[in-house]
Amino acid sequence: MDIKNSKENILNTAEKLRWEVGEDFHDNVMETIYTDAARIADIVVIKDNKKAFHLDRFIDRLVTSKWTGFPIMFLLLALVFWLTVIGANYPSGLLANIFVDFLYPVIRQYAVSFGTPLWITGLLIDGGYLALAWVVSVMLPPMAIFFPMFTILEDFGYLPRVSFNMDSLYRKVGAHGKQALTMSMGFGCNAAGVIAARVIDSPREKLIAIITNNFSLCNGRWPTQILIATIFVGTLVPAEYSGLLSASAVIFVALLGIGLSLLVSLFLSRTMLKGEPSAFSLELPPYRPPKILQTLYTSLVDRTLFVLWRAMVFAFPAGMVIWLVSNINVGNNTVAEIFIDWADPFGLFIGLNGVILLAYIIAIPANEIVIPTILMLTIMVTGIHNVGEGSGVLFELSDVNETANILKAGGWTALTGINLMLFSLMHNPCSTTIYTIYKETKSLKWTLVSTILPIAMGLTVCFFIAQIWRLLE
Amino acid sequence: MADDKCTSCPAFNRKSLKKLGINLDNTDFVVALAGNPNTGKSTVFNSLTGLRQHTGNWPGKTVARAEGAFSLNEKKYKIVDLPGTYSLLSASTDEEIARNFILFGQPDVTIVVVDATRLERNLNLTIQILEITDKAILCVNLMDEARRNKIDIDSRSLSRELGIPVILASARQGEGIPELLQSVEDVVTGRFLCNPFRLKNISSELNYAVEKLEKMLIAEFPGMPNARWVALRLLEGDQQIIDSIKNGEISSVIKQQIIPEPKVEN
Amino acid sequence: MNESMQALIIGLSALVAMFLLIWPKGGILGLFKRITRDKKRELIEDSLKYIYNCEYNKNCLCVDELKNNLSISSDKVKNLLHSLEETDLIKTENSKYSLTSEGRSYALRIIRIHRLLERHFADQTSYKDTEWHDKAENAEHSVSFEEANRLAAKMGNPIFDPHGDPIPNEKGQIPLIEGKSLKDISAGIIVKIIHIEDEPTNIYSQLVALGISPGMQITITEKSDKRIKFIANNDECVIAPAFAENITVAELNETEQDYTGFSLLADLKPGYLATVRSISKACRGQQRRRLLDFGIVPGTKIYSDLESLGGDPAAYIVRGTKVALRKKQAREIYISDIEKEDLNG
Repeated sequence: MDIKNSKENILNTAEKLRWEVGEDFHDNVMETIYTDAARIADIVVIKDNKKAFHLDRFIDRLVTSKWTGFPIMFLLLALVFWLTVIGANYPSGLLANIFVDFLYPVIRQYAVSFGTPLWITGLLIDGGYLALAWVVSVMLPPMAIFFPMFTILEDFGYLPRVSFNMDSLYRKVGAHGKQALTMSMGFGCNAAGVIAARVIDSPREKLIAIITNNFSLCNGRWPTQILIATIFVGTLVPAEYSGLLSASAVIFVALLGIGLSLLVSLFLSRTMLKGEPSAFSLELPPYRPPKILQTLYTSLVDRTLFVLWRAMVFAFPAGMVIWLVSNINVGNNTVAEIFIDWADPFGLFIGLNGVILLAYIIAIPANEIVIPTILMLTIMVTGIHNVGEGSGVLFELSDVNETANILKAGGWTALTGINLMLFSLMHNPCSTTIYTIYKETKSLKWTLVSTILPIAMGLTVCFFIAQIWRLLE
Repeated sequence: MADDKCTSCPAFNRKSLKKLGINLDNTDFVVALAGNPNTGKSTVFNSLTGLRQHTGNWPGKTVARAEGAFSLNEKKYKIVDLPGTYSLLSASTDEEIARNFILFGQPDVTIVVVDATRLERNLNLTIQILEITDKAILCVNLMDEARRNKIDIDSRSLSRELGIPVILASARQGEGIPELLQSVEDVVTGRFLCNPFRLKNISSELNYAVEKLEKMLIAEFPGMPNARWVALRLLEGDQQIIDSIKNGEISSVIKQQIIPEPKVEN
Repeated sequence: MNESMQALIIGLSALVAMFLLIWPKGGILGLFKRITRDKKRELIEDSLKYIYNCEYNKNCLCVDELKNNLSISSDKVKNLLHSLEETDLIKTENSKYSLTSEGRSYALRIIRIHRLLERHFADQTSYKDTEWHDKAENAEHSVSFEEANRLAAKMGNPIFDPHGDPIPNEKGQIPLIEGKSLKDISAGIIVKIIHIEDEPTNIYSQLVALGISPGMQITITEKSDKRIKFIANNDECVIAPAFAENITVAELNETEQDYTGFSLLADLKPGYLATVRSISKACRGQQRRRLLDFGIVPGTKIYSDLESLGGDPAAYIVRGTKVALRKKQAREIYISDIEKEDLNG
């Protein structure tokens, strides 16, 4: 017989047989396998149903009970965030001291002493190195505290229970309960939140989680929120209330972010992602005592350093770009000044300004360097002396009042402040996150959607607030 | 059998085991590592290779295929950590990667890592793997957790039922790893002959279809070790298997089995 | 002041305009898509499909019905039939139209694409059951045969569409399905639904709303000229005989009958143990495979363990593993032999 023929014959027979065995074939095979699995397990597994998993069952009842479930969840997550915020302060300051205050001048001097041309020290040290130093010192400590704590909760087995509890809320907006986790992760870092969306195995819900992650106010944006709220919102009321008001404003923005992420999830699941495949499954693994040291190591390597590395890769060139636009002159003005002049009318129209727009464009690698960039650019355009380090050199001031004075000299009003807070919540993800989204979805389309959707929302919201503000003024 | 006290002693293996990390040159044997998600598969992988893949109490951690190496008694082994899956029949990308490697990658032995606390559920994947390959070892991991939860496993009965070596392990504590290595060596050198469990309870009407195809497959590809599994896949309309029959790629699964081995009941 | 008012109005109108671009029914973008479609090809393919269906059901072709089905004028139908004849897709004998072999294979290819698409929408997307047919109807003309084959391969070469119709294979072969119309079954008989006709859409959507789907077993409890009553999913359904015509069923012998006294997993209270009887056919594709992978197959013991804070999802212990299922999924799993078992004791 011809070889080809008999192969064809097999396939044809298979096709005919398929009509006969019908659609339920897969079901039947699975049933057969599990019948055998159950038989074997019965023989070899020795357990006492009453005693097995006694502790597990107790914890599970505790964390899903109507009375204790929510308080436990709230307290644990609040504790994680609180420890992150408090714990990161000191090491952040230390790193900034080392990299920015101490090493930067040393390296610079060293380079200059070798007679390195000014543009090279400017480009590499004032630009690239300094941006890198900022990113590392601001980003590393909170992530190094937040991620291990999160991973310990994860390894213990608690996080699947959070998804389990939160699913009823997320189901209503067409999302998966595990999105509660990716969202919380996003408060640490959006890129990490996007990676965490891997645990959602349903394609549609995973995309929703990835696209909406940007609405979790990440670590890099909290300082911006706090600073601007203190300067512009706190001063709207008498001094004794200002602390309270500015804190509430920041919390309001964070809550608004959560609300928006739910709203956008709903929108996406009803429109763009309507037909994407969706299948819910969630397993609640047994609790296991976490191995602290191993967790520390792996979460540092897998999450913190991984994300930090990506951020650094983007920060260095961005630092160079920041230095270049502030130092290359076309005619009498630097590129930055020309852009700011050009973008200012539009910026002011939507209640922001040209400096903010430029800062958000060139500080795309990390939200952490937005405020330093804004300060540097404001000084450049206003021509203030005695502060800052020169054009293209990022800096931050320890004194809030001084910062306020610079910004006010730059023409900032309460409207600018409020809109900046909102824009900081709703703008394109940082380049690290965009790159991560592309890596995870492998789709240009969804990367573009997750980039453009928030910025379109941000511009729209700022526009309407600016118009209404002026109408009421 | 070369079963002198020394080589079977765990302490012996401890000394001769070299964790080679990602040094993958010139390996003598290929070991596949399969298992459900969240069974500590990565921990087993790490303790064999000395690498540090992230492990976590979450399904679906290991996303890509990871490779590492170790050497044991002068032989070099490449070990491939397959994505954690619940099944090999549901046609997700992960399952395809795992399935294809076991079927076409011809590992010299496949270690199936299962969770001792959830054995019944994990046996699903084990049984499916035994339908595809003859050379397998069952590593019942997380025994420490099982004991803490008052569960015990009768490994002798399990080994008798499945026809493959069964190792009770607790990879986090390093427990069972020497025995696992010993079994790997036993299976690849042919010192232990697997006589794997095959599904018995297929309903009669389905069995008719399966047997008919199985016979045709064996006539066309003599010596095909997993003809029944291929027949099952054909009846599920698996395009990859259909294609591999069309272009004859499926016959590559026969080569490794060509040496006739005497079946020995263990 | 004035300026910002103007800006506000312009802004709002821009938002409304954007909104109209995508709503309603795909809005202006959708309209644009509908206008630019290849009308001629669609007409030819739809009419071939229609003629094929007439032949399959052993009805002869009425020009009037074709006209209604395609919703075009009588002149156009004549032109259409004429051009079909010219291209050798149909032939006339004794003024009766029938498909030529080319016409038939063309028709079968379109039907293959249509049914594959329906299967795809049912299994691989989250569109609702009432949307599959229309979506497939819209997409079938722009899908090439090769694309359809790739789609089939990806889905594991399905053999039935979600309405229970067989999908022609690549060579255009298709088996005849034997079945009776539900209208012709007398009371007291247990049958299995093998097909629900998806046209006309209004009848189909009402049948779907009853919660019935191919593969489901129903028991006819009452039959008269006015209505047919039957039990499906533990619920009593009443339909008019005209509707029953659109349901094709097969009678079952004793051994094939499902266990009848089942309840739904969704109703199993925490602390109770039950045995799984079957998973509803309405649970399809990946979702169904997930449940099977969890080991939820007929005969499995399932224990209701926990409810989440909101009550939905709930956690069940299946084969020693704790899995969370949403209410919607738990309603698609039939159970029996419920007993109290206190593991927390």
